[in-house]
Order: sequence, then structure tokens, then C-alpha cells
Amino acid sequence: MNAVIHRRLLLSALLVLLAIPAAAQVRIIQTNSQGDNIHLIDPATNQIVGEVKGVPINHGAAGAPDGSRLYFSSEAEQTLHVVDGKTFQLTKKIPLSGRPNNISISRDGRKVYVGIVSSPGAVDVIDTATLEKVKSIPTKGGIHNVYVTPDGNYVVVGSIAGKLMTVIDQKTEEPVWTLFQEGVRPMAFETNADGSTKRIFVQLSDVHGFAVVDFAQRKEVARIELPNDVPPEQVDKGPFNGSPSHGLGVAPDGKTLWVTSRPNARAYTYSLPDLKLLPGYVDLGGRPDWVTFTPDSKSLYIATENTDTVISIDVAARKEITRIKVGKSPKRNITWVARGTS
Amino acid sequence: MGPARFPALGSRVWAFGVGAAALTIAILSVPSATRAAGPEEDLPDGEGKKILVASCTACHDLSEVTKFRGYYDRKQWRDIVVTMMEYGAPVDEKQVDILADYLVEHLGKK
Repeated sequence: MNAVIHRRLLLSALLVLLAIPAAAQVRIIQTNSQGDNIHLIDPATNQIVGEVKGVPINHGAAGAPDGSRLYFSSEAEQTLHVVDGKTFQLTKKIPLSGRPNNISISRDGRKVYVGIVSSPGAVDVIDTATLEKVKSIPTKGGIHNVYVTPDGNYVVVGSIAGKLMTVIDQKTEEPVWTLFQEGVRPMAFETNADGSTKRIFVQLSDVHGFAVVDFAQRKEVARIELPNDVPPEQVDKGPFNGSPSHGLGVAPDGKTLWVTSRPNARAYTYSLPDLKLLPGYVDLGGRPDWVTFTPDSKSLYIATENTDTVISIDVAARKEITRIKVGKSPKRNITWVARGTS
Repeated sequence: MGPARFPALGSRVWAFGVGAAALTIAILSVPSATRAAGPEEDLPDGEGKKILVASCTACHDLSEVTKFRGYYDRKQWRDIVVTMMEYGAPVDEKQVDILADYLVEHLGKK
């Protein structure tokens, strides 16, 4: 009897061990928009621990969920570069239908969506099994930023030229609804308890703030202006690429929304879901471009394009941790959680 | 919903146009030994440069243009000009080809 129990205990322990996935590796991937390299930062140490080379004028970044690959768009070569997730060596360049901007990857890692900013605009769809472009979804106006919603059900794209946000069904790859008559810039997504999209926070051309979109109602329900709390003589006069507020993100725990200001060179925090501005700010010392969080919501990374720096911020304390020097004109960044690696 | 909007494009373009012209004069009037060489100095004078400086620097630094040096043919440079016009760059139809010719001559793929 004891031997049976012992064997069952051993079997249970083995099953538990097998059920634990290999340690996931977290990296902040920082593109450099005027260079040909990309930096990988370990958020545990805030040190650069890797570099991808040979992606001229890189714009968007995406990481395969299984850790096997990284993908980068090259505006210069008008290609999607496929990079090995362990060696960081280029394995393939996939020709695109025009000049790319930002990219995103499906939750299962099977499709990469590439915003094509060249007129008339499109979203190129890359099959990651064959590493080929399998479709170009026509859009109204060139596409600047591309997102897959947190539940994976939609691809949401923004056009500056077309002054439009377009929501595309991820399964059918057909547009289902559109919004705005203004240039659409970065976006951030808030979810319902079931993971579906609740609201989208959208930055717009020439707006020093952001719009609030109710996803179910398919309409803008509020517009929030960022504080004008910097003395006029200290306000950066630009130029800001027509986007005074560029870079925002919802913390993975869903508790805060972080929004950046280029004129003020500051990051502001709003509580969620009530969108109350929290006291204080974080000085960025430059023009922000993009925001990404660690999965535990403890740290935030903001790229400032005119200082060649990424700023690591303590989310709870809302204080700068450190500044990390990267490449030339850092813009888009992502958090890559590479499961299956150790 | 009171959007916090920066000045409308027309007035913004005018203001930036005047500002860009003033900045250009100011930069060119400073002795070269006292300033670092920037992307503007790399580009020879010409009608295309006037359009480039007046229209592009309203929204971004010239390095956002010169970063593409050596990569694009004429069709691709023209595509960039058209895209920027769609973004609101103050370039009129007559200037498109002048600017595209200038860009491909001085920054184009060789």
C-alpha cells in the first residue's frame, strides 16, 4: 500500500514538473529609427544584453511568443527582417508591398501584420510558417501603427494620411469598422475581465492628449487634455512630427495608463478605470516616442528619440530608475516574453 | 469633449514656414567653425533644397530625410514626398517633381 502511494506521489511530482513551462525570458527590444541596429535590454539589470545588426532604418518590432524569432520592419529596404531568437542573426528578408512602418504579431505567432505607409496604404500579412507575404489588406491611407488587440481577435491600425482608425477582424482579415477624421497615432488597449477590448486610448495628430474610444459602442466617448504644467520658457517648441503627445500604454495589471508629452518632456499617469490624473509626473529630458512595460507592471520603458536614450521607470513609485543609452533616434519598443527559452 | 489642439495646420504651416526661414538664415549666418555640421550642410543649394527646408522642417528635423541617403530610387523618393503631402506638408503639385529630382540626385541610390 505504501509503495503504491509512494509511486503515485512520485508520478504527481513528475507531472507537476512537466507542467511548469521553461522559464520565460523577458527582454525590452529597442529599435533605433536612424540606425541599422536594435538593442535588447534585460529589465532585471537594465543592461544591454544583445544587439541585432543589419536592419537599416528599422521601425517596427515583434517577437514570436515561443522565443524562436524576432521580426523587424526596415523602411530603407522595404522588407520585413526575420531574426533568429537565440543568435540574433538575420535569417530572411521578406519583400513588402511598400514602405513599412510599425508591425504587430498575432497571439499565436502565426501571422505578422505590417503597416504599409506608402500610398494608397495597406496591411501586409506575413505567414510565419512559410515566411511569405500572403495578403495585402487595402486601407484608406497609409498605415502608421498596427496593433493586435490583447484578446487577439482584432487588428487595429491607424492612418495619419487617411485620418482613420480601422478595426480588422483577425480571422477574416476584413475591416469591420472605422473611426476618426484625424491623423491616428499611437494607441493603448484596456480590457474587460474576460480579456476582450473595453476601451482604446488613441493619440491623434496635433492633439496634446488622447481620445477615449468605447470598443463596444464603436465611438469616441471622451477626450483628455494633458496638463500644461511647464513654464512657457521651458516648453519644447518642437518640431514634433505633428504629434505633441506620442507614446502611451496601459500597464499589464490594468491599473494605470501612462501618457507622454513632447512639449513638456514628461510622462503622466492616469488611474484606471476612472481616468483620474495622478499627482506628479516623470521628467523625461527629451521627446518621448514609445512606451512599454514589463509583464509584472513594475517597470516602464520610455524611448526618447532626441536623446538616444531609454528611461526605465518604477511604475509604483512613478520615479526614474535609470537611463540607458541606446542607438540613433530610438523610437518603437516592445516587451518580448520569450516562452520556451531559459 | 474640448480637444487640446495645437494650432490648425494652415497657421501652423505659416508659423513654421516663417520660423524655418528664420532658422535657416540664422544657421547659415553662424560661422561654420562654431557649429557642428548637420544634415542640412551636407546638401547643396538649389530649388529643391529651398522646398525641402521650407516644407519638411515644419514637422521634423532634416535627419528624418537624410537618414534614407543611398536607399531610394526616384519612384521611392517621390512616394515619400506624396506621403508627406498627405500628412500635410506644404508642397504644391508643381514642387513634387522638383523635390523628388533633388532628393534622388543628392540622396538617391547610386
